[in-house]
Amino acid sequence: MELIGHGGKPLVERVITDKAEAKNKIKGLKAIPASRQMATESIGIALGFFSPLQGFMKRADVDAVVQKMELADGTLWSIPIVYDISDKEIHDYGIKAGMSVLLTRNGNPMAIFEIEEIFTYPKEEIAFKVYGTKEEKHPGVARTYAYKDKFLGGKITLVQSPKVREPYTPYFLTPRQHREKFKNLHWQRIVAHQTRNVPHSGHEWLMKHAFIAAHGELPVESMEVMGKAISGVLVNCIVGEKRAGDYIDEAIVLSQDGLKKYGYFREDIHMTTMTFWDMRYAGPKEAVHHSIIRANLGLTHHMFGRDHAGVGTYYDSYEAHRLLMSIPKEKLFITPIFVLEWAYCPHCGEVTCIGLCGHWNELQKFSGTKIRSILMDEVKPTRMIFRPEVFDIVMDAAKKYGFGSPFVTPEYLAEAAPAFSFEPL
Amino acid sequence: MAETFPINIWINEERFKALQEAGLGGLLKEELAGMKVLIVPCNEAQRDKVLKLFPMAKYDAATTKSIELLPKYVKDKLYEMAVKRKTLNMMDEFVAGFAKAGDAFWNQDIA
Ligand SMILES: [Zn+2]
Repeated sequence: MELIGHGGKPLVERVITDKAEAKNKIKGLKAIPASRQMATESIGIALGFFSPLQGFMKRADVDAVVQKMELADGTLWSIPIVYDISDKEIHDYGIKAGMSVLLTRNGNPMAIFEIEEIFTYPKEEIAFKVYGTKEEKHPGVARTYAYKDKFLGGKITLVQSPKVREPYTPYFLTPRQHREKFKNLHWQRIVAHQTRNVPHSGHEWLMKHAFIAAHGELPVESMEVMGKAISGVLVNCIVGEKRAGDYIDEAIVLSQDGLKKYGYFREDIHMTTMTFWDMRYAGPKEAVHHSIIRANLGLTHHMFGRDHAGVGTYYDSYEAHRLLMSIPKEKLFITPIFVLEWAYCPHCGEVTCIGLCGHWNELQKFSGTKIRSILMDEVKPTRMIFRPEVFDIVMDAAKKYGFGSPFVTPEYLAEAAPAFSFEPL
Repeated sequence: MAETFPINIWINEERFKALQEAGLGGLLKEELAGMKVLIVPCNEAQRDKVLKLFPMAKYDAATTKSIELLPKYVKDKLYEMAVKRKTLNMMDEFVAGFAKAGDAFWNQDIA
């Protein structure tokens, strides 16, 4: 069955699953090693997370994205997806427009790249138009400036599915697999919770807030019965490039799933999965990109909180909301749900939405610094902060995957195994 | 009052009881959803010693105005010492104890 993705276009699926066919197709192709970043993006393209992109962008697409926040054909798009390469590599590999090459990862075949165009694009222009700044201390800008001098545009076809390691294996689903799961659950409305965090109860309430808003006017009667929910929350964790001090991805994925495992969300309304993507911290533009990915996963709604995917003081807290509101409905293939922060109110004695309770001066906010400090001290927090099981999961993940820390350390950066790999054919 | 450079120690219900018994219950600050912090004051000299002995620690002058990123075992020991000595005025003893015994200090009982 043909599935429809972002832009109202067929969901892209470009993977050769038959080994013999793959072997045959790569015969004689020049092998070029792909960086982790380019491999991550090849997976995003070929499995349809970036539908309708069928490959790395050509100049016309990059230009349209940078100047107008759309692809050359007018489809909404906010962040350039480019394959960077140096002149020396182009020369050494004898790369020419019109040829196909085999991209490899750690020596194993990954994807066929049909190179259609070799081009340049001013990096400062990308930085300023996409990130709103030319400052290199913005991580997205730094990544842009680090691109090599030329870009290759053209279609990507994976020659095998990526192998995803434990504990991620059950959480990695393609857009098609997401949709199959939703169908089996009879979910009519599904709201995305974008995250790079382990969930404290403020996050838990954001999800409940978004669920209730997305469910809206749909009937609730059948929901009284376990297994009969018709709306769901998808926690879609972004797994990719990490910076020291981030939560380790293992702790994020496992603790988010813990909310369902221990009953804080019913089994039939909550699901945790992951998407490979290197955060660009592009704030509003990243919010648009997230909405594109989640539309491709088959979601109907997307939660956006304060400071969505921002960094430093580059973006206003609600700039992402404003940009999303400015996009015509027919171009954004998902409905945004805007949520306010939830905090603990000692007066109410509960976690509450800061937009609802009147004890403004008493609110105790879940600041990142406080939560981080609690986790570092490993002093078991109250259940109003962390569900006890969730806290235990985070601490277990720290021991098992994080070299003792739930946060990314230099040791983790150097030694943690990559989340995905490719095998010999 | 002279400026202090505190170390914040998280206090859950379990620790709260012990601190109350030590007569320090009144010194706690409600911080977040029932979690309290014990604020151990340091003067400038004590702060500098702490930062020198524990290079991973930082004084956060911008937001929390406290000494942050001390490892768990350091904070656990500080907590233990506060309870045993029934006072928060124990930074000099703490710093001297570690300076003298090195890492063996973490396994020593506070007499
Ligand atoms: Zn209140």
